[in-house]
Amino acid sequence: MNNINQIKYCKKCIIPETRPHTEIGEDGICSGCKYFDQRKNIDWDKRKSELVKVFNKYKNKSSNNYDCIIPSSGGKDSTYQALKVLEFGLRPLLITVTTDMLTPIGRKNIDNLKNKGVDYLEFSPNSVLRKKINKLALDTVGDITWTEEVAVSCTVTRFSIKMGIPLIIWGENPENENGGPKENSDFFDDIIQKHDDEWFETFRTNGLKSSDILDFWKKEGVKDIDLQPYTFPDKNEIQKNGTVGIFLGHYLPWDGHKNAEFSIKNGLTTYDKWVEGSIVSYENLDNYQMRIHDYFKFLKYGYDRVSDWSSLAIRRGRMSRKEAVELSRTVGGKYPDTYLGKGLEEILDYAGLTKKEFDNICDKFTNKKIFKKNLDGTLQNDNKGNLIKNNYDNIE
Amino acid sequence: MNNKKIVIIDSNIGNVGSVKRAVNHFGYQAIISNKHEDINSASHLILPGVGSFDEGMKKIHDNQIADVLIEATTIKKTPVLGICLGMHLLATKGYENNKETNGLNIIPGLVKKLKKNSEFKLPHIGWNQIIIKEKNKIFKNILDNTDFYFVHSYEFICEDELNIIGISNYCSEFTSIINQNNVYGVQFHPEKSLDHGLQIIKNFLEI
Amino acid sequence: MLRKRIIPTLLFKDNKLVKGINFNSWRTVGSIMQSVRIYKLRKVDELILLDISATNLGKRIDLDLINEVANECFMPLTFGGGIKTIEDISCILKSGADKVCINTASINNLRFIEEACKIFGSQAIIISVDYKRKGKIIEIWSNSGQVKSNLVFEDYLKELESIGVGEIILTSIDKDGTMDGYDIETITKVNKLLNIPIIASGGAGNFENMLDLIKSTNVSALAAASIYHFTKKTPLDVKKYLKEKKIPVRL
Repeated sequence: MNNINQIKYCKKCIIPETRPHTEIGEDGICSGCKYFDQRKNIDWDKRKSELVKVFNKYKNKSSNNYDCIIPSSGGKDSTYQALKVLEFGLRPLLITVTTDMLTPIGRKNIDNLKNKGVDYLEFSPNSVLRKKINKLALDTVGDITWTEEVAVSCTVTRFSIKMGIPLIIWGENPENENGGPKENSDFFDDIIQKHDDEWFETFRTNGLKSSDILDFWKKEGVKDIDLQPYTFPDKNEIQKNGTVGIFLGHYLPWDGHKNAEFSIKNGLTTYDKWVEGSIVSYENLDNYQMRIHDYFKFLKYGYDRVSDWSSLAIRRGRMSRKEAVELSRTVGGKYPDTYLGKGLEEILDYAGLTKKEFDNICDKFTNKKIFKKNLDGTLQNDNKGNLIKNNYDNIE
Repeated sequence: MNNKKIVIIDSNIGNVGSVKRAVNHFGYQAIISNKHEDINSASHLILPGVGSFDEGMKKIHDNQIADVLIEATTIKKTPVLGICLGMHLLATKGYENNKETNGLNIIPGLVKKLKKNSEFKLPHIGWNQIIIKEKNKIFKNILDNTDFYFVHSYEFICEDELNIIGISNYCSEFTSIINQNNVYGVQFHPEKSLDHGLQIIKNFLEI
Repeated sequence: MLRKRIIPTLLFKDNKLVKGINFNSWRTVGSIMQSVRIYKLRKVDELILLDISATNLGKRIDLDLINEVANECFMPLTFGGGIKTIEDISCILKSGADKVCINTASINNLRFIEEACKIFGSQAIIISVDYKRKGKIIEIWSNSGQVKSNLVFEDYLKELESIGVGEIILTSIDKDGTMDGYDIETITKVNKLLNIPIIASGGAGNFENMLDLIKSTNVSALAAASIYHFTKKTPLDVKKYLKEKKIPVRL
């Protein structure tokens, strides 16, 4: 950026350079777009046969246990993962770690998947403690859904060890679409990033560790075991069990939109319109808190789901860049007043926050440099409380 | 809370903002000032400071606040907290930069370089414990051997041992907390010593 | 007894938190405020905030950011990056930092540092010395490892001490970001040479190499970044380990 107050965007999609782990090159194109351009070079047949090899390597040889675990939210991706894995003839155990504020659509979709002829384990971490953790996480790292990301990774990995099922089949490594560092994506043939402890620490936690929470609340009697759902198992235990977490997105061409189409055909219930703050109706349907999570991405980095989905669509020729910029301005970055029809106050109330507390935390995490200001230095907002970025596209 | 007028002497350099922040943390308001009327009407005075003794006294004289400080302290008996250099300036004389400089002489003593052997570095920088020598209001909820953040090369040598209420160890023993009636001096930086430091400030403001 | 300090370093570039290897391949790893608040939660000994792009881009110092970070911290905060003038230092300290960390400007003009020490006091001035080893020679590099200086390593360090600098942060460019262990040989040499505290930086990867460093060199403090971003370890984990090994640390 020449001017620290102007965001530089990818010339092709609309992802900004402020996004962690993504890079915009000298040519103005982001690493996400560059990766996508190379997709045509991937030999998907070869990748598919590699997948079969992986399955054969890790599946249960004695017919006395599951072949793999599929972490499942019941959403468009996990429905796709589960049905695809069944097509390969494996016997999966689906594990859902429920969200803190499960929605009726979320419940419906979990039940839909349960009816697909699979064994299903549903785990819910202690919700009294969980709410407190989410509130602490919002205050510390601006992430109200910290427990979601973390509990899924940690708990599923722990079940793999406890139940002796080495293979965990995750969906897509987000760093593939994002163009994250090569060694952390699993986009390329030669580097196959696994969902391991280092990847987890870097990409799933926002830097906040369960040991931080334990130390902070020690005086209140919180113990190690209380935080087990949020603690990634020890490297040695993982190795001993042979646990390995692969990303299905390395082996099969991944497209969130196509996954949705597939899943809808197979019983996925979606919202009846675009979910608030996004431009799709088929994502993040299982947690009322999700919009707050996305909003904080906007406050910190100046982009959100609208940018993500538009960029994904641009890369696949389904949207023009001009359209994307307009959507990011009209739909993106709005104050999260409702989500899936539920009002913010009710969502905050569940999380144990007043609106004032919430707004203070929002302010703390706002990167003031990228938003328009009034003459007195305070942040500008329209009469609905929405902040306005300095620029929604590159300034020539 | 509302009837306290907490005045932080403006030393022009360094950490007055941090001290103000620490005071605000407890819901108190503080003003940063060198005005006579503020010092005279203060319920509590905080004398912060970083830098050398002679520079510190020069600022006090340039701002013409020596007399009003002495008056507030010794006649009005306003509670005073001197922090680091601020503590030093309460002394009779200081010997920094090879000069002998007169201090405010509010608590009799001399400020000299820390005694140490070559194994020990100067400045003394980092977290070190205080050993409480005498029970005092300022130590409410503070345990013996609590760590505080120090950064200094000089120490306050009290003329009267009874003024020493806390000591620390760096190669040899030195005085880390002094008290004479309403006047306190702390060698460490309570505004930079996390919870325990804040507790010291809170205790002082409750005097 | 004085404790050994374990100090996390936050590096940022254009208001983004970054991490690099050998002063190269900078990656954006997150938001600055996030990390600051985590360290606040952790109640770390001190915090160092470095703007690695400032000198090279000639940018203005981000006083708002310093103020925002200082508002979170009730522990000492050091700021560095692009500091060139007395006015810079004054503004930074007024914005809430306790110490400044200067690198390039010191190499270019020692008299400026001397003046700064007189005005602000030794305790506010830390000089950062980045170096690379080329056989027996230790080269000093400035501008975030872009420009090689002709200064003689030991002479430069001794001069810094004589003009009143409070502390030195010594960073091995070769080791930085590798998480491969510290350059014990050089750090030992420097710690013996000088009477002012040394903060070692560059190479921390596990508890053992941090213990090894302290036992071999007796440095005053360890600064690190990568180890806290990319591994499970926190500064408290490091200190718990060191305490077990009888190293004085604040818990």
